[in-house]
Amino acid sequence: MRTGLLLVFLLASGSALAADELHLYNWNNYISEGTVERFEKFCNCKLVQDYYGDNEEMLAKLAAGATGYDIIVPTQNAVDSLIKQNALKPLDKSLLPNLKNINPEYLNLDFDPGNKYSVPYAYSTTVIGYNEQKLQELGLPIDTWAVIFEPEYLTKVKGRVTVLDSQRELMAAAMRYLGYSINDTDEEKWKQARDLIIRAKPYWAAFNAQSYIKELTVGNIWLAHGYSNDFFQAALDAKKAARKFTINWRIPKEGAVIGMDNMVVHKSGPRQDLAHKFINFMLEGENSAELTNFIGAGNPNAAALPYIKPEIAQNPAIFPNPETIKHLEFMKDLDRKQRRVMSRMWTEIKLKQGEDDSTYWKGLAVLLGLFVFAVLGLAAYKGLAAPRRHAT
Amino acid sequence: MNRSSWLWSISALVYAFLYVPLIIVVVYSFNDSRLNAEWVGFTLNWYRVLFNDEQMIRAAVNSLTIAVVSGLVATALGTMAGIAIHRYKPKLLPFMVITPVAMPEILLGVSLLLFFIQVMNLTLGMLSIIIAHITFCIGFVAIVVRARLAGMDESIFEAARDLGATPWQTFKLVTFPLIMPGVIAGALMSFTLSIDDFVITFFTVGVGVSTLPLQIYSMIKIAVTPEVNAVSTLLMLLTLTTIIIASKFAPDTLRGAMK
Amino acid sequence: MINLLNTTRVTKWLVSGPPFLYLTLFFLLPSLIMVVASFRYPGDYGGLAPLFGVEPGKETGLTLETYRFFFSDFIYTQIFIKSFGVAMASTLVCLLMAYPLALLIAHSPRKHRDFMVLLVILPFASNFLIRVYAWMIILGPQSAFSLAVNHLLGWFGIAPVPLLFSSFAVLVGMVYVHLPFMVLPLYTNLEKHDPVLLDAAQDLGANAWNRFWKVTWPLSLPGVYSGAALVFIPVLGMFAIPDILGGTGDILIGNLIKDQFLGTRDWPFGSTLSIMLTIAVLLLAGITAMISRQGVRQ
Repeated sequence: MRTGLLLVFLLASGSALAADELHLYNWNNYISEGTVERFEKFCNCKLVQDYYGDNEEMLAKLAAGATGYDIIVPTQNAVDSLIKQNALKPLDKSLLPNLKNINPEYLNLDFDPGNKYSVPYAYSTTVIGYNEQKLQELGLPIDTWAVIFEPEYLTKVKGRVTVLDSQRELMAAAMRYLGYSINDTDEEKWKQARDLIIRAKPYWAAFNAQSYIKELTVGNIWLAHGYSNDFFQAALDAKKAARKFTINWRIPKEGAVIGMDNMVVHKSGPRQDLAHKFINFMLEGENSAELTNFIGAGNPNAAALPYIKPEIAQNPAIFPNPETIKHLEFMKDLDRKQRRVMSRMWTEIKLKQGEDDSTYWKGLAVLLGLFVFAVLGLAAYKGLAAPRRHAT
Repeated sequence: MNRSSWLWSISALVYAFLYVPLIIVVVYSFNDSRLNAEWVGFTLNWYRVLFNDEQMIRAAVNSLTIAVVSGLVATALGTMAGIAIHRYKPKLLPFMVITPVAMPEILLGVSLLLFFIQVMNLTLGMLSIIIAHITFCIGFVAIVVRARLAGMDESIFEAARDLGATPWQTFKLVTFPLIMPGVIAGALMSFTLSIDDFVITFFTVGVGVSTLPLQIYSMIKIAVTPEVNAVSTLLMLLTLTTIIIASKFAPDTLRGAMK
Repeated sequence: MINLLNTTRVTKWLVSGPPFLYLTLFFLLPSLIMVVASFRYPGDYGGLAPLFGVEPGKETGLTLETYRFFFSDFIYTQIFIKSFGVAMASTLVCLLMAYPLALLIAHSPRKHRDFMVLLVILPFASNFLIRVYAWMIILGPQSAFSLAVNHLLGWFGIAPVPLLFSSFAVLVGMVYVHLPFMVLPLYTNLEKHDPVLLDAAQDLGANAWNRFWKVTWPLSLPGVYSGAALVFIPVLGMFAIPDILGGTGDILIGNLIKDQFLGTRDWPFGSTLSIMLTIAVLLLAGITAMISRQGVRQ
């Protein structure tokens, strides 16, 4: 009897362990908890999430052997790269009746003709987020990249600015500010962008991919380069915590990066069935609307529009007007040689202590020299001292 | 001011430097504020959140499983290595045992990542983490066991042999009981090292398998709530207990190991 | 007799075989793979390009390109210099803090020593990320400590400085995490000193400073060397502390290596950097061993 009970218990716990699980690899802060809960109830399964803060990070993780994600939500250029790597599973459209909800403008784009592998999820822009009261008090402009690149403005907010810890995104912002396309791969232009960044760097507090939401909410940071939906979150959090200031964000007039994030099914994912269930679920107007209402993402889903709160639908920083859209660009992927050049520039950006850092390096050299001298001197002293000690 | 009071005051400052940060972490785990920036009020809420955080609990279970399995295997292999080094004075083995411990951790992490993906074509997950943890734990166990052996009188083993004991009997009846405290200390060390490891796990982790340190890292990087403090406090309690047990079992060897 | 020899040989292999095999497979072999990887081409989407292949227009096989790339630009050498600088500074600060403490413990009554050592080890048993995170709280711009420091600076007319996300924060983190590694070897060395030596020096008329500088310090050098190695080498490869506490300029070799594998997908370059780091560490270990051997001979 007791063994029988034990067996039942083991079986029960065993089945609980092997329960239906869907592994989602998503941007951090890109699906609301409510949506997750409702999906879990709907599919009677568990949604297990991992997060990334940058496409490059996600691609690298996959290249480094991460297998078993059912669904990933990459931006268009990363989708392109994943398709070329033959890493994705073609979608079974018969399981996705809600695909009709997507605004046709966002379908059949050049990175995935015919949407064989990907379905639009949401979009966000890479913009400037700021502490409204502080910036007003300091009299700083909010509609231009100049505010994070020009020392004349930066002196007023020194140490209170963060920029994204993403080589592609930061370079893109600098390229736009200089008046170039973000997809220009001319090394000379890249160098100008690099120099612009190095000049502004001493005024920034940190390269930050994820925690600027919190830093803005707490009030440690007044100005940040980041994703629009993250600033939406920061604004909500600040309101909830009854802070004395408000957070807002704006698409700079020079233009910015827009990222269309798509749901794709990874080849190594064990649960293609649940993956399709999830995609279809997220394509439903009501569910998709939550991405906008709670996360602040732009929405490509036509059926979602009726559910979107009017004050959000009218926010041009979430739904850019046609005039702004002209200045927004999709990012394209780099090949491996360009990646190496970009990576070297990124290293330079991180290493340089400002425009002229020769004093820093001289100081360091002197310090190292002294250290080597001390060690050698000590060794020599001991070598010399030994025989003398023997003599006495 | 004489010399010893001078030493005392500096040492008191150093002790404060060591403990104040940890006390702050513990105190803030009771802070009633999601933002965790200033003190708001007392609450046990974050512990409640922690015990309802399924991902955290899974990570804890993973961490424990990894630590127990890799601790056991590493103890067996490390004990063998320690005995072998002491008894046979091999040339290569000491180098192979010490290097993974002495090198910056990132090197082992990166080379194992390359190896798992390029050569073994292994799906990263529990197995890859366990293999990696065993690799660096062997060294610690071997060092402790060897230190224990080095402090022993060789004549006991000779006596056992003279009395007609086979090598296996000598080992079972004489050597093993004598090195037992060292083995236990090594096992406990492996266990704590494995539970605490971040860098090597970071490179060898796969999908859907998280460990406590990785979970803490991503919380620090993304959004810190006092839940991190709560989990830290509990983790501190766990390692504290392990250390106290270790010092009860084998106070001398533990100290020897720290040398 | 032959039989006996055989059994010892068999036991020898039974005992040393398993750990030897394990470490060959999971330590030596991966290290070799890394050496080979540093001579290969990066794959188009990350990983490595195939070693053999006949695909036209694709680069396969072995190359020195990555090493050329490393030496073509001074910045990579600069990162090494900088990492050495940070490691050196951390080691010095650790030494300055650890020495008085170790001396105090060694001079304390025997029954207190174990407890005092345990007090040093205890914080080092909590996870190192937690210890780093603690400093995030302490150095945060609105923390009491930060406000106090900046208030103090204000009296001298210095503008407020951010403490978190700076090289200072990185140094504090490095010292905090590695301090016990310095205290323990120092203490085990100092504990062994014979107090008679100090008495003799005193009888010969040496003052406190001379007693320390001429007797205690030279005798403690082996402890200093092993402590320094235990701090210096891990700091050299550290990436998490600059990652969490560092500002815009705090990049060390560890971060660069991590980036190649988990950011820019350039494995050959990541391997090359790892090998350079290995060489640097081996050189250092060699020098330390040489100096301390000299000390032993003395």
